[in-house]
Amino acid sequence: MSQQTQHRHALEIINLSIALPNGVRLLRDVSLKLEPGEVRALVGESGAGKSMIGKTVLGILPDTLKITQGEIILEGQHLNMMTPWTRRKTVAEITALIPQDPLTALNPLRKIGPQIVDPLIRIRGWEKDRARARALELLERVHIRAPERVMQSYPHELSGGMRQRILIAAAFAPSPRLIVADEPTTALDVTVQKEILKLIRELQKETGTAVLFVTHDMGVVAKISQQVTVLFAGKVMEDAPTREVFTNPAHPYTRALIAATPSSADLDRPFSPVPTELIAELHAQVARDDALWQGKKR
Amino acid sequence: MLLRTVLIRLLTTAITLFGVAVVVFTLVRVAPGNPIAMMLPPGATEQDIANLTALYGFDKSLPHQFVIWLSGVVQGDFGTSITLRRPVSELVLSRLPATLELSVMALFIAVALGGFVAVLGARRRNSATEVGLDLSSGAVLSIPDFLWGLIFVLLFGVLWPVLSISGRIDPRIEFDFTTNYYVLEGLLRGRFDVVGSTLGHMLMPAMSLALPLAAMIAQLLKQNLKEELLKDYTTLTRVRGFTETAVILREALRNAALPTLALVGVQFTFLIGGTVIVERLFAYEGLGNMAIDAVINRDLPLIQGIVMLFAALFIVINLAVDLSYTLLNPRLRHG
Amino acid sequence: MADVTASPRSRAGQGLNLRLWLPLTWIVILICAAVFAPLVAPQDPLMQDLMMERLPPFFMDGSEPGFWLGTDSLGRDVLSRMIYGARIALFVSVIAATTTCLFGSALGLLAGYYGGWWDRVISRLVDIWMAFPPVLFAVLLVAVMGTGLTSVIAAIALIDWTRFARVIRAETMVQARMDYVDSARIGGARRLATLVTEILPNVLPTIIALLMLEMGIAIIVEAILSFVNLSISSDDPTWGSMIAEGRGAIHFAWWVLLFPLIALFFSVLSFSTLGEGLKKRFDPVLQ
Repeated sequence: MSQQTQHRHALEIINLSIALPNGVRLLRDVSLKLEPGEVRALVGESGAGKSMIGKTVLGILPDTLKITQGEIILEGQHLNMMTPWTRRKTVAEITALIPQDPLTALNPLRKIGPQIVDPLIRIRGWEKDRARARALELLERVHIRAPERVMQSYPHELSGGMRQRILIAAAFAPSPRLIVADEPTTALDVTVQKEILKLIRELQKETGTAVLFVTHDMGVVAKISQQVTVLFAGKVMEDAPTREVFTNPAHPYTRALIAATPSSADLDRPFSPVPTELIAELHAQVARDDALWQGKKR
Repeated sequence: MLLRTVLIRLLTTAITLFGVAVVVFTLVRVAPGNPIAMMLPPGATEQDIANLTALYGFDKSLPHQFVIWLSGVVQGDFGTSITLRRPVSELVLSRLPATLELSVMALFIAVALGGFVAVLGARRRNSATEVGLDLSSGAVLSIPDFLWGLIFVLLFGVLWPVLSISGRIDPRIEFDFTTNYYVLEGLLRGRFDVVGSTLGHMLMPAMSLALPLAAMIAQLLKQNLKEELLKDYTTLTRVRGFTETAVILREALRNAALPTLALVGVQFTFLIGGTVIVERLFAYEGLGNMAIDAVINRDLPLIQGIVMLFAALFIVINLAVDLSYTLLNPRLRHG
Repeated sequence: MADVTASPRSRAGQGLNLRLWLPLTWIVILICAAVFAPLVAPQDPLMQDLMMERLPPFFMDGSEPGFWLGTDSLGRDVLSRMIYGARIALFVSVIAATTTCLFGSALGLLAGYYGGWWDRVISRLVDIWMAFPPVLFAVLLVAVMGTGLTSVIAAIALIDWTRFARVIRAETMVQARMDYVDSARIGGARRLATLVTEILPNVLPTIIALLMLEMGIAIIVEAILSFVNLSISSDDPTWGSMIAEGRGAIHFAWWVLLFPLIALFFSVLSFSTLGEGLKKRFDPVLQ
């Protein structure tokens, strides 16, 4: 079947819905595509369900949440149809994660080196020397000085920015073809943020890895992505190329989001939060859709 | 820095040990009744009393007596047992191995059982299995070692008599021990019948001591594991293709074990304290059984010696736990 | 949709109720047995009858009516001794636990609220006390003070006060740092008055929960001391002395051990379940 498809997407999500055990939907019919080598930003306010999409792709959704419908297709392979074992292997083979909080994303009781090298040996099946060389290469690439020494260090001996760079190196080390970056700059201060963003973009261009970049910050979206998916209350509001979204936003919510982003280029521009009336109206709309959906189901 | 912490710890330990000595000494001296009369069997002559009074230095002032006793203790001289007429240190050391072997076996069972249940509970978190494990460990925890011992006596003494319920080793086994570490010596000399019989006799008292601690480890370690399993480093490991069990065992376990360790230290001393009554229950020839005999026979020097030894053991264990906690935690090790 | 959310909640509620009512029922049974012992006990607990020795309980061959749970090696009725044993168990548990609680909580409050030398001395005492094996300490104390219920009670209080002192000290320190204590002090309240009117009511729930737990512990300690024959005279019916007797006769009359053990088991489980339940209920972190 997959041979018939001429063009294979890095990731395709079709009509994905996720609900709480009591039936309340958190994600509503989300569809999106990610081409190989492309960066797609998933943007929305907290609670919009953007992180949930990344977690679903990686198979790390909390047990309490259930996928009620939808397909996730990773390089032409339907994840829903796999056994948990093959699914885990497939996901690990293709993807990697850059997590949000560098402070808890490294095991405090293990040295940095093994935390990068071990998965390469145990999951990828690489030789020890090759894995080590790859780790050193990437640590140097993310501008870690004295990588040999850093590999011998414990996480608490390093700064937050350094840890995030190490996590980026660890994510790129097994040469994944899709990286989920889950708000990787949110926990960092502004000066470090810029540097981290630049690193991710550079490495992405060099390796040609597709990136699903989850963020709440339209400023970050502008800097990193080619495509944007705007989410509100678990629903896709707009899906378009980044340039188009900024020059000519189609949805009022997108316009409001852009207006709500403080711009470093234009500090004099007044800061305007997303208007409450708009949010109320959108919520009402989502509720109407839900009622319709419930009715259809019966 | 680390050295300073250790030194302060050692100093407070010395103060505590001194306090224990004072309490033990006063307890048996200030108590109502003449200690010499307490020591002697009824019908002792005036001469006996005078002799003994001089022998134990009871004719001197209390502080003076304390100094004499303490200086003996520091040199390893705990006096002579009144009922057994042998040096207390010799008696105590001959029984210590039995109690140590029992305590270590109990600790081993508690850690293995508690650890297993904790990992299982964390693996099956938010399921009926976890609720079941929580309820049973809660019930097990509230039943003290004495009751567990009695339950095992009934189960294995009456219902299913496969294990002996008294003694330390089958008396029919002929073996000339050079130490009192039966298990160790049996292992080293390749006498597996000795090892088997000793372990068989130890199993039930050890289980009685281990169960409450196992339940406590199960609860605490599971709680810590669940907290670790929400942190990003375990998520990363999951994404990299490790199974949930591997995530728990390879990544989360050591982080969760560290705070558990601090508690296990204190609880291990409680476990050793429990040997006193459990040994009595199973007629196990250890230090605790000897201590109760000593109390019943009013053998004051022997009681003092045993209590001091227990106290020293407790303090050393707490110290060891504190230090290993520091050494195992890289954040403290370098600090 | 509503019933989906409602069902787990009501199930949890039921579990909570059972955890309250089962222990309470057992404790009420225990109190009734203790109070009305002469009325409910089928036999005289002290009456020996060597013709009636080691009679099995009612469900076995060779049992005698009137001796429902059998007799011990001296022909004394097990059920009647258990009922009278409940008197001693409850008496010791209430008096000893209350004494321990008052003594330990007072020291804990002083150490936690006044700090300084109070705290240093009391904390050091706790450290020293924790270095003693509790059972051996209890046996030693009773041996020194002489056997008898007063000694048993005194021994329990002298050993277990640390349990209260440690917890209440920590709790008091937390409370003392709260704003309401400062405002009471600024309002002109005296230190001791603040301790009694402001802090004590806030640590009281913890004290009550610990008191429940201590009642279970006191019952066990009394049984242990009876078991090694250091409580009251071994003729008197206590669960511990019955257990000691049953342990000796385990191969001939296991029921002498089994029934008092069951009584002990349920009593300890009841008190600790109540105590744990109260602790969880009052703990603001767990709510």
